[in-house]
Amino acid sequence: MASESARASSAAESRFRIDAPNARPRAIKVVALDRPSQAVVERLGQGRWNGASFLTASAFSAESQASGRFSMQAWLSDLSGGTKHLLEEIRGSDLVVMIASAGEDVPVAALIGETCSIECVTTSALVIGGPAAIDQALARTLAQLRPWALMLVVASAEEYVADMLGALRA
Amino acid sequence: MLRKEQNELLTQTGPNTPGGRLFRSYWVPALLADELPDNEGPPVRVKLLSERLLAFRDTQGRYALIDEFCAHRGVSLWFGRNEESGLRCPYHGWKYDHTGQCVEVPSEPAESGFCAKIKLKSYPLVERGGVLWTYMGPPDRRPALPEWEFAVVPAGQSFTSKRLQECNWLQAMEGGIDSSHVSFLHRGELNSDPLFKGAKGNQYNLGDTRPVFEVVESPGGLYVGARRNAENGHYYWRITQWVMPSFTMIPPRGDHPVHGHFWIPVDDENCWAWSFDYHPTRPLTQGEVQAMRDGKGIHVKYQPGTFRPLANKDNDYLIDRAAQKAGRTFSGVAGIAMQDASLQESMGPIVDRAKENLVSTDNGIIMARHRLMHAVKGLMERDVVPPGVDISHQRVRSASLILPPDHTFKDAGKDALSVRPGVAHASV
Repeated sequence: MASESARASSAAESRFRIDAPNARPRAIKVVALDRPSQAVVERLGQGRWNGASFLTASAFSAESQASGRFSMQAWLSDLSGGTKHLLEEIRGSDLVVMIASAGEDVPVAALIGETCSIECVTTSALVIGGPAAIDQALARTLAQLRPWALMLVVASAEEYVADMLGALRA
Repeated sequence: MLRKEQNELLTQTGPNTPGGRLFRSYWVPALLADELPDNEGPPVRVKLLSERLLAFRDTQGRYALIDEFCAHRGVSLWFGRNEESGLRCPYHGWKYDHTGQCVEVPSEPAESGFCAKIKLKSYPLVERGGVLWTYMGPPDRRPALPEWEFAVVPAGQSFTSKRLQECNWLQAMEGGIDSSHVSFLHRGELNSDPLFKGAKGNQYNLGDTRPVFEVVESPGGLYVGARRNAENGHYYWRITQWVMPSFTMIPPRGDHPVHGHFWIPVDDENCWAWSFDYHPTRPLTQGEVQAMRDGKGIHVKYQPGTFRPLANKDNDYLIDRAAQKAGRTFSGVAGIAMQDASLQESMGPIVDRAKENLVSTDNGIIMARHRLMHAVKGLMERDVVPPGVDISHQRVRSASLILPPDHTFKDAGKDALSVRPGVAHASV
């Protein structure tokens, strides 16, 4: 007689697996941290997604870099240019994906990361163009992201972002 | 998640499938050299990439890998007689040489030349590092022989085994790059397995069960880095190598041999888990080899006379609920290899990835699928040679390192992640 494991893992038994949704949609915020990434996020925003929304922190990043000040009351921008409250956006999300370009300066990662930390929201960071970037420049970007990302990915091309979001059911 | 058509693209590797064409771009392990120990020894059935083949070693010691079935009436040549530089079908005496060329049809006059018109499909079979490798792609695209370090170090420094895993290759391979499961599923083994215990790195593993991950594309595949806290603000990094399509290398522990796998499709519902252990600079000790033969580390004990694990789905993997309850094993299944295999087989022969819910720490898996799909597309549409074929992509090592917090493992560990002849692997 076949064991429980042998029977249960057969192809025939696969027919009886419950075919019902096993997860609710996730709210995923995809945030561009710099100007080149903003263009990537804008292109992604044209697609159809389940629970992803696309934002940019690049304007804030440049501004705060100039002034040297950070604020928890910072604003993000949506793709139509409207301002969004950082805390409110993060508070309602399941995952924040920060997008940066290799070699770019991304001090705003600390602010977003800290906010996520306070709100107990998981963070991922994705650096685009990594393999082609100069090592030191890439290292600088990574060093700014590393303290704030549970998962840090260095990808060669932008197309990975869409694949990753699709895989996460975004 | 993957859509149905994406899942099929990656999980189907038979002839004339896109995934099959990808696998047919590489030299893949087919048999252990020990399976064909003698000239004129018994032939061995081999099923690879959904093709039924037969391996034998002829009178001159030449290895052969040919279509299993006689061209005459479709009899299995496994019953054949290995004699005088060829394999003779016992039914009507047709005889084939090591290239699959028919060299004798007794019922036809020799002068008719009939046998010259009969040739079975065959593939090259080459010994390297105690493994017989085959290449099943177009002959004009045959790459250079494999250069994996475990296969080119002196014989006493390497040990290789294989076991049957009863599920699709991809779900098995994905376990090899899924670093986050180690702190749970295998935690019992870190302090007890003779091929793992005693390493300082184990303390970091067990002391910090919330690793942080970095996934970086490499020329041949991926580096999957797992970072844990070490002393003085430094990080303990474990860097796994994945080289396309299915080579994975586990970060080492202390001075133990370093190990890894190939995941090779038998058909779409079974695969060979090839498991190697080697040390770059010293012979394996008697104790280490005995432990590997005893099924420790990443190896298994077998059902006698087979490559099927002793603990398998037919005996519920010998699950020991008392050991699970007591915390000696996390899942109740003993041994690292079968802890993985039991769970991967439980997914079913080919897991439906449309139902899965990946999370951000699964980016290693997501990136591997992304690269595989990209490679298949490039191969099918533009005839692009996929990553991992170039032997420079094969000269890699996994590593475990302590690094300052501002260092990038890919750069700080550049030397450690490449083969350096005569230099030991970087390990903590």
